[in-house]
Amino acid sequence: MIGFELQSIEPDNVPVAIGQLIKNGGRMQMVYGWQPDDGHLELRYVASRGVNEDFLVLRCVPRGPLPSVAGISPLLGWHEREISDLFGLKFTGLPEPYRLVLHDGASPVMPPLDRAYPFDTPMPFEPTEGGMPVVDSADVQRLPFGPVRADVVESVELIFFYIGEHILHLHPQLFFKHRGMEKRFEGRSLAHGVILAERVSGVDSFAHGLCFCQAVECAAHCIVPPRALMLRSLLAELERLYNHLHYLGHLSHTTTLKVGEAEGKLLEERAKQINGRLTGSRFLRGLLIPGGLRCDLAPELWLSQALEDLRKDVAVYTAMLETTNSHLDRLITTGVLNRQVAYDQGATGPIDRASGLDWDLRRDHPYAAYGELPLTVPVRTSGDAHARAQIRIAEIDASIALIQRILLLLAAGPVRVDCSPTPHSEGLGWVESPRGSLFYGIHFDSGSTLSRVKIKSPSFSNWRVFPLTVHDSNMMDYAINEASFGLTVAGCDR
Amino acid sequence: MPLWTLFGLRKGKATTVWPKRGQENGQEGVRGMPRIEPQRCEDGCTQCAAVCPTEAIRVHADQTGAARLEVDYGRCIVCQLCVEACPTDAVTASSDWAFGTCNRSDLVLSGDFHIVPKVTEPESRHGFHRSLHIRHVDAGSCNGCESELQALNNPFYNLHRLGIFFTPSPRFADLLLVTGPVTYAMREPLQRAYEAMPEPRWVMAVGTCAVSGGVAGGGYACGNGLEGVLPVDLYLPGCPPNPAALIEALLMFLERAPQRVKGGRLVE
Amino acid sequence: MSNDLLAAGLTSWLIAAGLALTGRATFFTRIILGIGGGVLLVLVVTTLPEGSASVHTPLGIGVSGSDFRLSPDALWLLGFGLPGAIFATWLGTPARHQATWSFGVAMSLIGALGVFGLQDAVSFLVAWEIMSLGGAVMILGEDLAPEKGRSVLFMLGLLEAGSVALILAFLLLSQQTGSLSFSDFAAAAGAMPKAEQLFVGLLLLIGFGAKLGLLPFYEWFPGAYGAGSGATGALLSGAVLNAAFFGFSRGLTEWLPVNHALPVSIPGIFIVAIGVLSAILSALYAFQQEDWRELLSLSSAENASIAVCLLGATMMFRQDGLTDLAGLAWTVALLHLAGHALAKGAMFLAADGVYRVVGDYMLVQRGILARNSWIFGLGALFAAMSLAAMPPLAGFVSEWYLFQVFFQGFHLSSLASRMTAALAGAGLALTVAIAFAIFIKLFGIGLLGRAERRVPQIAITTSVAVGVLGSLVLALAAGMPIWLTHLAPVSATFDSDAPSKMADGWLLVPLTAKFAFISPSKLVIVMPILALLPITLLLLSIRRRPRVVPVWYGGRDQNPQRAATTALTFSNALRTFYSFIYRPIIETERESPQDSNGKPYFTRRLVFTHDVAPIFGPYLFAPLEKLVISLAARLRIIQSGHLNFYLSLIGALLVIILLLVLL
Repeated sequence: MIGFELQSIEPDNVPVAIGQLIKNGGRMQMVYGWQPDDGHLELRYVASRGVNEDFLVLRCVPRGPLPSVAGISPLLGWHEREISDLFGLKFTGLPEPYRLVLHDGASPVMPPLDRAYPFDTPMPFEPTEGGMPVVDSADVQRLPFGPVRADVVESVELIFFYIGEHILHLHPQLFFKHRGMEKRFEGRSLAHGVILAERVSGVDSFAHGLCFCQAVECAAHCIVPPRALMLRSLLAELERLYNHLHYLGHLSHTTTLKVGEAEGKLLEERAKQINGRLTGSRFLRGLLIPGGLRCDLAPELWLSQALEDLRKDVAVYTAMLETTNSHLDRLITTGVLNRQVAYDQGATGPIDRASGLDWDLRRDHPYAAYGELPLTVPVRTSGDAHARAQIRIAEIDASIALIQRILLLLAAGPVRVDCSPTPHSEGLGWVESPRGSLFYGIHFDSGSTLSRVKIKSPSFSNWRVFPLTVHDSNMMDYAINEASFGLTVAGCDR
Repeated sequence: MPLWTLFGLRKGKATTVWPKRGQENGQEGVRGMPRIEPQRCEDGCTQCAAVCPTEAIRVHADQTGAARLEVDYGRCIVCQLCVEACPTDAVTASSDWAFGTCNRSDLVLSGDFHIVPKVTEPESRHGFHRSLHIRHVDAGSCNGCESELQALNNPFYNLHRLGIFFTPSPRFADLLLVTGPVTYAMREPLQRAYEAMPEPRWVMAVGTCAVSGGVAGGGYACGNGLEGVLPVDLYLPGCPPNPAALIEALLMFLERAPQRVKGGRLVE
Repeated sequence: MSNDLLAAGLTSWLIAAGLALTGRATFFTRIILGIGGGVLLVLVVTTLPEGSASVHTPLGIGVSGSDFRLSPDALWLLGFGLPGAIFATWLGTPARHQATWSFGVAMSLIGALGVFGLQDAVSFLVAWEIMSLGGAVMILGEDLAPEKGRSVLFMLGLLEAGSVALILAFLLLSQQTGSLSFSDFAAAAGAMPKAEQLFVGLLLLIGFGAKLGLLPFYEWFPGAYGAGSGATGALLSGAVLNAAFFGFSRGLTEWLPVNHALPVSIPGIFIVAIGVLSAILSALYAFQQEDWRELLSLSSAENASIAVCLLGATMMFRQDGLTDLAGLAWTVALLHLAGHALAKGAMFLAADGVYRVVGDYMLVQRGILARNSWIFGLGALFAAMSLAAMPPLAGFVSEWYLFQVFFQGFHLSSLASRMTAALAGAGLALTVAIAFAIFIKLFGIGLLGRAERRVPQIAITTSVAVGVLGSLVLALAAGMPIWLTHLAPVSATFDSDAPSKMADGWLLVPLTAKFAFISPSKLVIVMPILALLPITLLLLSIRRRPRVVPVWYGGRDQNPQRAATTALTFSNALRTFYSFIYRPIIETERESPQDSNGKPYFTRRLVFTHDVAPIFGPYLFAPLEKLVISLAARLRIIQSGHLNFYLSLIGALLVIILLLVLL
């Protein structure tokens, strides 16, 4: 089992250490703050090193403002702004010195993630416009779209600066849906923690629940029984399956391929009904618990056949999509994300792999039963909407194959062991969710209740990357490009 | 070059005949709200209330001083922790998901569970029975509700056939469908959306978050659902409510189906 | 009587010029300028339709002095140029220095008067130069733009190239008879070989085209107009433009003979083609401008080009002996420029009004109309509608006639002429459509729209000026049947009384009511009645007032001003569609903060610049400019200041003179 290696670092050395780490082939994953019982603030810089190596966690106790490392590792810019909003820590030299998570106009009595923040006290809020780049021309038209957009979609405000069909700049105003989920974990039991984690992002419920459980198990050094690990992998793949099918249906919607949309959404519905039949929840909720699963499942009897039927239909469907010129014409060369930008800005999951970065937590830092399972990780290099769609199509295939394999390997046995973390322990969880890498950083206080839970969702990373493919692009391609990223807002906003 | 139209025609009809006929609503095995029968409780046992993460199950003393359970299904997130915690079979898992109601008190199973509160007649929806236009506003949901709302327009449920449509703008909507606990930042947009609707207009709270706040209610960033934000005409708790539950609730609202939940119980 | 008025008008302009030179009493100077204009206007009204008597002035250059006579068409064109000029001088330039400007105005007007009336080549050229220089003095005197010198030099350079062409044409014409008098030019041209006639025609085209803004010369328009004020623009696009057209028209129709030997009027076809192309290009470029003056200036070039097209049509019809149609085409050109001068004057003065309250000439939505008096609004609306050729205004009448002229091209005998007429009709239709968009843009963005901040009210004097000029545009259209009778003697040149056949009672007809007819006079009455229905509905709806909520912006309180159509976005679709002509340039510069370590991800500021590429600038004018500069560099040696070099030059000169004398 891979874990993490904790090192302490002086605040002044942070930029140098991170620069060195990146030079040696490491990649930053997140930085977050937490307050131990005595109330001082600590930061954790989390980085991945090589394949199958422990994650590196740098512990840093800031004394006063900290130098920003966004210039060295651009993907940390948003993380630093989040810490600045929620913990009140100042960073010097932030390239984008605006609020991120809290909207301008929100004036909490103290930083909301401060443990002294009075419980259930809403922040006073007077809506004002947030910080964004200055557009220096009276000729440029501004199109504010949202937060209530057309269709049934999540709330985000997209501010386009555009001339006719040409988008000069997109400024997504996110965090309308910031619910303060991380704060809600404070002082909660583990069982409630899973329930909360499952409700951070509905369509990634299982990934979030699993990541939470793995972080707790990491802190508790808990060994989960093999059947539970196998079932966890199976359920994680079922989640990928319905998400990717939805993705294809929605992508067809944006390319106005009506029958393709209907078929994609129908296949998604079938996958969700399989979820419901297997687990009682269409979103695979209510199954996970640190130490295993809350109850055993019996997928052996019928799941294999149901998935085989689904696979055949999916194969016909994806083959048709891949030969439909009108569909492909609108995907190829749309929203190109090059490898360097993807790497620098921390794109993750299918987005990452479509831009030539071969990284998948299931294979490179295996968890659950993935270490024992053969896994194909599709990679494309063109970085356009078509590459992103192709990655998903290939992953659907791989997921079904993986589930069938699990069904063959699944042996009877217990599915749950007791899991109780030691006081003052901390754990790191990671999961390759359908949308990319998900991290949970968990800290326990003197008891065994949760003291701090940090969630780094894949959409948080991918929303950062997405606008960079929109600048200087075409209005007609926007919806297709957005659909090709398959973003969730709830996961990003938390 | 594939012929999509031909493909669609050869696929045939994917839409279920439910709710007109049959029971094929696509929710086989899907669990709903736990069924609670307080008369089977062990004396003094409050384990279900203790594990409930949203205080949907509460214990309060009645006039005689005896502890009584009060269950507010408007707060239930269907986590099933109470089912697992119950030492007897007083709390059992069920498939009772059709919890759409026009009256908030119908979601509450009080200590005096046999008293069924009278359902108050909502504002006349004359002229809207056959067709309804909905504007959805996500006021901070986890996107589970959105996923199920989007599923309504897939070929299996095919909401259009029932004369119910989602509109891109509140300007031509009859019903404001709200999900999420109403975050501080979404409160104003939500109210603006309501303002922008023509009259008569109604509001539907979808999902436990919108009904009462759920797991995400309160805190520094959230309200407790639509309470005190907008007048609600239709409640549908669930986490998330499945597409069949949404259809049932909407048809009930349009007086094309009976309200099945009364006094916190599903009546057949 | 008429000559007294003429003398009075000219004298007041001369006095004004003198006063302006002293640099004092600028207001008084402008009043005198205005009075001069008013006196001449009285002259125009009283002498039309006959034309003024000929006077011999000893003032002319040369031994014999020169004749001065205002023909009816000169009076007509001058008369419609004057109201704009009078109001422009009354309001003055919004620039700080009025004196130099006033001197320039006086020069321009005196020059224009000379161009209209002088009857011999030498004094004509002097007047022509005074008029051109007057324009330059106005712009330089205003000192509104930092780059004014360059623009003015560009303008003068092109105008001088035109003047050289004119001198050459006059030399060729006078060589035949040895007379510099215009009255002998027709005979002179008749005696020329055909090729030489064509050459003279080409020279006239270059000479007057430079001023009228035919291609490629329209490219000096935005720069020069854009460096001056609206008042300058009103003068340049009114009296001055009309004077240039008058000169061109006289040259083409009176001097150059009709060559009946040819089956087809090649010069006519050529002029029509040049006119249509100029009209299309200048309209396309006008549509892309974001500055009141630049947009209006290119629109002037477009309207002048339309008038030139009609001149070409006149030549084509005359070639076939269709005198009535020739007269029709020619009269329509006069009508067109008359309406244009009034409406353009109103728009230029409106631009000055906007400038006075906001401090720039940019087309930005500022809610001008909502804040100002209805007089201003109505005047600007009438003027814009006329320039957009909307009924029932003057522009509509003349452009309707314009199409009737080209529709009647089927009367022409040769296929080439008929094809030309058909293609010209199509090309002009495109121009008119673009012109419509141009003035939607000007009026919609420049005057309508919401204001981000409150702007002060435009002065009542400006409002009145715009209102009066706008009403004159309407009056010109409504009373067209009456005015046409005053034009009857004008087309006597063509043995035609076309103008009297153009009105049939209150109907306007293209010579015969069987072909087509309109009646702006009746429309003026009918259109307000038609408006009663929507007005009634509006009044009724006030009683059943619906609930009003803010504009839906996805749930946020947005400033609609920032989402409003900008001058660029309005014209961007056409810019994209005609990108092969415009070759648009778009540049977005993203400024990153220093802390971003050279990475391009953090944008603090977006600097957006755009432009359309000129067609002739880089390929025609830039190489010429380079040539001139390199020649100047070579000749700089003359200015070197070396005494020995100068002495040797003088020595060489003396030797040459000696040799010449000896030989």
